[in-house]
This record gives sequence, C-alpha cells and structure tokens, in this order.
Amino acid sequence: MKPRRTPRKKGNPLHGVGHIDYKDTDLLRTFISDRGKIRSRRVTGVTIRQQRRLARAIKNAREMALLPYAAPGRG
Amino acid sequence: MRRYEVMVILDPSLDERTVAPSLDQFLTVVRNDGGTVEKVDVWGRRRLSYDIAKKPEGIYAVIDLTATPATVKELDRQMNLNEGILRTKVLRPDVH
Repeated sequence: MKPRRTPRKKGNPLHGVGHIDYKDTDLLRTFISDRGKIRSRRVTGVTIRQQRRLARAIKNAREMALLPYAAPGRG
Repeated sequence: MRRYEVMVILDPSLDERTVAPSLDQFLTVVRNDGGTVEKVDVWGRRRLSYDIAKKPEGIYAVIDLTATPATVKELDRQMNLNEGILRTKVLRPDVH
C-alpha cells in the first residue's frame, strides 16, 4: 500500500492575538467560510479555548450585523 | 460598579453630527447614578451585513462606561424604546 502523506500542520493563526474582540471583523472573517459559517477547529488549527472564544465573538458580531449569518445551502 | 461596553446601531437617516449629543442625553442616566462614561466612539455610517428594520445601513457607536448593573439595564431599556436606535448590545469586556 502506498503510504499516505500526512498533511503538514500549519502554525496557530491566532499566535500573538491576546484578546479576541467581536469588533475586529477583519480577524474574525479569516475564521468563517465564504458562506459565513464558522470554520471548524480541524481547519483553523486554534486551541479549544480560542475556538470557543472565536465562536462567541463571531456570534456577537453577527447579532450586531458586523458579520453575516450563514447563507442557506451547502458549504 | 462594573465596566461595560455598549454598542449601538442608530437609524441611518439621522444626521451623523447629532449622534454624539443625542447619545450623551441617554448617558445622563449613568452620570446621575454615580457612574462614569469613559469613551464615546462614533464609528459613523457603515453597511450592515443584513437589513435591520429594512435598512441596509446603520450608524455605529461604541460607549465605554462604568456603572452599576441596574443603571446599565435602565440605559439599555431607554435606548431600546427610542425609535432612532435600531439595536444595542451590552457587554462586559472583562469577561468577554
């Protein structure tokens, strides 16, 4: 059997970001898909705690119309 | 007394120059109850990600203040009664 190449892990994209602010939409936009869905931790590669804080920040930003709610359809 | 951050979306048909004075009027309730207003930051007109009250734009403002929980609750209540204010959000930056 051909050995499966393990994809190389990228570094933590939140390195150096102390506090995750819901007003920082440029940062949060890097963690949502084109459809506006929150990217999973498997994709983003952040820590569990950071992912939780990201999700909360994104949801707060959505409530204030800073970010879109997920569009219907796949992806 | 606690620190709060209040974000407000105002009606885009308002004149941007009148935003700061009218917000200040709301904030008298904070000052009268012994709280302090640290900063009022008017972002200005901004496109909304989705329509609110059939409006595609809003005037954003962020207020940093220190007050008791009851005072902030009253401030939020009064803001939501005003028709020039589309939406508010009260957060405690210390825990969020």
